[in-house]
Amino acid sequence: MDTVIKIDKLQKKFGKFEALKDVSFEVKKGEVVGFIGPNGAGKSTTIRVLLGILKRSGGSVEVFGKDAWDDEIEIHKRLSYVPGDVALWGNMTGGEIIDLFIKLHGGAKRNKRDELIKKFELDPKKKAKNYSKGNRQKVGLIAALSVDSDLYILDEPTSGLDPLMEAVFQEEIEQLKNEGKSILLSSHILSEVERLADRVVIIREGVVVEQGTLDEMRHLTRSNVILQTTGDLSVFKNMTGVYDLQQKGKELSFSIDHEHINDLLKVAATMPMDKFEMVPPTLEALFITHYENDEA
Amino acid sequence: MNRNFALWEYLFIQYLKRDWKKIVFWIVGLGLFCGGFIPFFEEIAKGDGLLGMYETMQNPAMISIVGPTPIRDPQAYTIGAMYSNEMLLFCGLFAFIISVMHVVGHTRREEDLGLQELIRSFRVGREANALAVMVETVLINLVLALFVCGLMVSFNLTGIDGTGSLLFGLSIAMLGIVGAVVGLLMAQIMSTSAGAIGGSIALLIVLYIVRATTDISNVSLSMMNPLGWGYLTYPFVENNWLPIVYALLFTIVGIFVAFVLESKRDMQDGYIPQFEGNAHASKRMLSVPGMFWRITRGTNIAWLVGFVVMGAAYGSVYADMQAFLNSNELMQQMFTVQGISIEVSFTATIMFVVQGLAIILPIVVINKLYHEERRGHLSQIFSTKVSRYQLYWSVIGLAIVLSFVANVAGSLGLGGTALASMSHTTMTLQDFLGAGLNYFTIFLFFIGLGGLCIGFAPRLGKLLYLYLGYSFMVSYFLNLLNLPEWVNNTSALNWVSRVPMEAFDISSFMIVGVIGLTMMLIGAFAYRKRDLHEGV
Repeated sequence: MDTVIKIDKLQKKFGKFEALKDVSFEVKKGEVVGFIGPNGAGKSTTIRVLLGILKRSGGSVEVFGKDAWDDEIEIHKRLSYVPGDVALWGNMTGGEIIDLFIKLHGGAKRNKRDELIKKFELDPKKKAKNYSKGNRQKVGLIAALSVDSDLYILDEPTSGLDPLMEAVFQEEIEQLKNEGKSILLSSHILSEVERLADRVVIIREGVVVEQGTLDEMRHLTRSNVILQTTGDLSVFKNMTGVYDLQQKGKELSFSIDHEHINDLLKVAATMPMDKFEMVPPTLEALFITHYENDEA
Repeated sequence: MNRNFALWEYLFIQYLKRDWKKIVFWIVGLGLFCGGFIPFFEEIAKGDGLLGMYETMQNPAMISIVGPTPIRDPQAYTIGAMYSNEMLLFCGLFAFIISVMHVVGHTRREEDLGLQELIRSFRVGREANALAVMVETVLINLVLALFVCGLMVSFNLTGIDGTGSLLFGLSIAMLGIVGAVVGLLMAQIMSTSAGAIGGSIALLIVLYIVRATTDISNVSLSMMNPLGWGYLTYPFVENNWLPIVYALLFTIVGIFVAFVLESKRDMQDGYIPQFEGNAHASKRMLSVPGMFWRITRGTNIAWLVGFVVMGAAYGSVYADMQAFLNSNELMQQMFTVQGISIEVSFTATIMFVVQGLAIILPIVVINKLYHEERRGHLSQIFSTKVSRYQLYWSVIGLAIVLSFVANVAGSLGLGGTALASMSHTTMTLQDFLGAGLNYFTIFLFFIGLGGLCIGFAPRLGKLLYLYLGYSFMVSYFLNLLNLPEWVNNTSALNWVSRVPMEAFDISSFMIVGVIGLTMMLIGAFAYRKRDLHEGV
């Protein structure tokens, strides 16, 4: 598989402040990578370095096998970017700005623009200064999705969109995924990342602290179990790998390490079960446990 | 290198399309102002007008404001010579300021807004935007030059020939282009668009005042001043093209330096280091007036320092002026009429410049209230127990206090330096302070107008600058043109007597002040009642 983005030991300093200390990850062709982390962790800085807008202080950053700073123009011909807060010229209409952006990119898809304007329910004749946050965001999205690119860099692209529009957005991204495009998606809406991303990269205080597929990451953490039985509950209390155990009458809830799930199932199979639920951790839970663990 | 400018031509065409209304307004508006006053000057020139005006323009006070003329023989002072003598520098200043605003507005400001980040994510070169904006601005200024030239020639007057008119227009255009370069440089150095505009205007004021002193003491030094590359071409008199060449060289070097600076910095960063702030608010800012002081603090201090420096710069002219008069007995007689010494009449003239500029500060402060309202910065304050009256009067109060400080700062700078530089005089520091405070009532009037704007039509707040500029110009031309009385009266700056040349007029002082305070009160009631404009 071709590597589209290759970041190795990236560092970025602003004066004395080290915004990025050690960032390394890859995005392969046809892959959607979720890029998550708390506010101020360095997501947008990384993306700006990728775009050749900021110059790195150390490490290497390659897009399509070319240097992100030196060959930015070549790279940008095959790339689309949507920032989290799309700023527009107030005295131009949304339609005019979309046309300008498409032209600046240079790779317009036939009819895609009008189709997207309809789908996203944007009024292209309004001056940009009269758009709400969500509508400005739509202008950025429509412009980015109306062109033919190989790599899409999306920095919190759906902030300010209503749930209906977010669904439209997810549809479009899935279509791009099916076409074999690569996508780097930074977002705080973890359900969105969970649904779309093949792999997740977690950054914190300028360092990539975790990366892998969601399944891989789930293995690192615990699943939540709720069960109800007339049998002996104390068996579960003494099992290794069980944490946060709580009992409410005959109902027991706890979390369990993945490597011990088999043991749990063996024991549970010998008992009369009224209820047995096992929920894999959400990305949100992963995210939160990860930080809580790190801080402790 | 070419890669850095990729697609600039496309941006350039887009910008022309985007800005065309503004461009038309810019060229026609400024063009009419620059070239359209010829009929007025024709009126003045009738009879002995030209001779009289020549003598007036020999007054160092006038030279310090409008610049010198190379003419030594009064008979050679034609209408063209007079027009370029009195108008060229002023028109050049306007061209400079508008170009600064345009360039910073489309470079640094778009960077601050995040627009340029988006533009740069396309196959657009790093300097493409800067180049497109600069080419656009240069082109606008050149068209302006042609427009001014054509307009002046169209009056078909002897003394206003084609070559002179072209040079006149080009001199203005070159100052516009120099302004664009200064704006672009400041946009790299400063880390915000407000800083870039402030820095450019501050530099312009310093250059203007420096040339005032060098024009009187040694004109050849003014040739080293970027402003000199405009008005020292002496159109219709010497038709000196050399300054235009200097300006061109400066432009080429300046743009090159700006590009290098831009390519070596990160987007949204500048070359002025930013310091870490405090984690906690100091006690002083935990009140409504304290908050407004805190958000305007940087600007306020910069302006106040600026006023002292400006006053001091004009103060240093006094010594040159005395030396100038002592060298020429005829001049001495001419300017010391009716027992009024030259320094007294000069103070009366220059004080309106110093105080007229100082009025900018309260206008800035008052407009801040609406600016913050629109940006939604006050939303969380409007929803607390803080009343609108509290907000309104805090801002008005801050404006009044700052007016007083600015007024005194300007007078002290002027008087202190003037008294220190003159070898003999009858004037005291009190004379200067009194002459300045005489204008305080006009500060109140402008604050009152600002209050009315906040209450009734906050969008019009920016027009206060326009009215101040208008008043400034009428008062300025009062010395040059014989404007009808009613026109003079439309300038607020003319509503007080010219102290110390004339006696202090307490009744007009009180009337203007009371009108100002009344307007503030009416504004408060209107502000209480109107809808807030948030995020528009």
